[in-house]
Amino acid sequence: MPTPGSSAPTWRPCAVDVRPKGDDKLLLMNPHDLLRKPEARFLILFLLILGVSFTVVALRPVDTAVVAPYTAFIARMSGFVLRLFGEQATVNGCVVSSPRFAVTIYNGCNGLITSLIFISGVLAFPARHPAKLIGVIGGLLAIQLVNLLRIVSLFYIGVFLPQHFNDAHIFIWQSLVILFGISLWILWAHFFALPRERS
Amino acid sequence: MKNAPGVFLRRLPFTLVAAIVIWLLLRPAIDWAVAGLAQTLVRSFEYPRVTRLVVQDHRAQMRRTDLRTDSKVPTVSMTEVTFNTIVLLALYLALPRPFSRRQLEALFMGWCVLILCQSLNLVFHVKTLYALGLGEWSQQHYSDLARNIYGFGRYFTDLPGRFSFPFLIWLGFNWDVIMKMLAVTDEDDKKPDKKGKKAVSS
Repeated sequence: MPTPGSSAPTWRPCAVDVRPKGDDKLLLMNPHDLLRKPEARFLILFLLILGVSFTVVALRPVDTAVVAPYTAFIARMSGFVLRLFGEQATVNGCVVSSPRFAVTIYNGCNGLITSLIFISGVLAFPARHPAKLIGVIGGLLAIQLVNLLRIVSLFYIGVFLPQHFNDAHIFIWQSLVILFGISLWILWAHFFALPRERS
Repeated sequence: MKNAPGVFLRRLPFTLVAAIVIWLLLRPAIDWAVAGLAQTLVRSFEYPRVTRLVVQDHRAQMRRTDLRTDSKVPTVSMTEVTFNTIVLLALYLALPRPFSRRQLEALFMGWCVLILCQSLNLVFHVKTLYALGLGEWSQQHYSDLARNIYGFGRYFTDLPGRFSFPFLIWLGFNWDVIMKMLAVTDEDDKKPDKKGKKAVSS
């Protein structure tokens, strides 16, 4: 114990805020500080919208009323394009077949997943509502166009290079479609979402 | 920085090809890492520890030591689980200065998170099979709640997760770089400070 008159050190509360403030310390922050960071806000909102939208499309009534008819519509469109190229393609439900090859369009092949991810990215990003509307409509059309190209090209890969069908289907075209969606989002953010940030 | 998105988008096809080559070369190691981590996670919560995930021909075989020897072995395609590594690599490599120390650190951290996500996807595949696919055994050992949780986990980490995780990881670990590329922060950087000098970006 310090005796009277001795030079005992005086302890004062530290005035320096020692909480981590670096960009790479997101996980150590309290939730309030975390939500102030734009990247954290975007990621949380993105995951929330994505989670809700994927939960909704997984519900049986939604699947029956929306997803299945939508997938059948994509199959009909693919059949139509293949007939334009001279194929004797017929469509039965979600199966597009010709005497040479047949493809079945499942839930993951209808472009819906990429579209929902793109829409979540657009809605979560800080931008004005008209810009978001342009992004959603334009993005949906562009993704569906690329998806149609994907189905038609996979059909011909199945006809001419059947041994490469799985590789082309799984890691080449899926990667291409995801990267196309991300590229579209970058273009949208650059050309349409910026004005609000600048104002 | 005005044309940075253009430069990024022009680089992307080339980095996609590079990413496919890297992934094809590292595929056995990635399969092994993902299946190993998934097996550790599955075995952490089971008693007795009977699950073994063996990778053969890029398919994870779900072997249980308590299965009969003549029993069929269910498998999961590792290509479908790990192909999104291509997307992550392509996105990272297309950013400015991809081989700088900072970017390589970000890539390493991002890749680790992606491997964890891929492992979780595989875990949900295994647990969904146990909870739903083994007939009466599944009925006796798993509740309806467990079946719903594992089913939802598998559904969410399957297509939505596989497609969105690389984008989220890339964005999360490179937010400043990407926002600078999109020119979101350009205006602030260009504003003169109080002394009339332009701010110098680091």
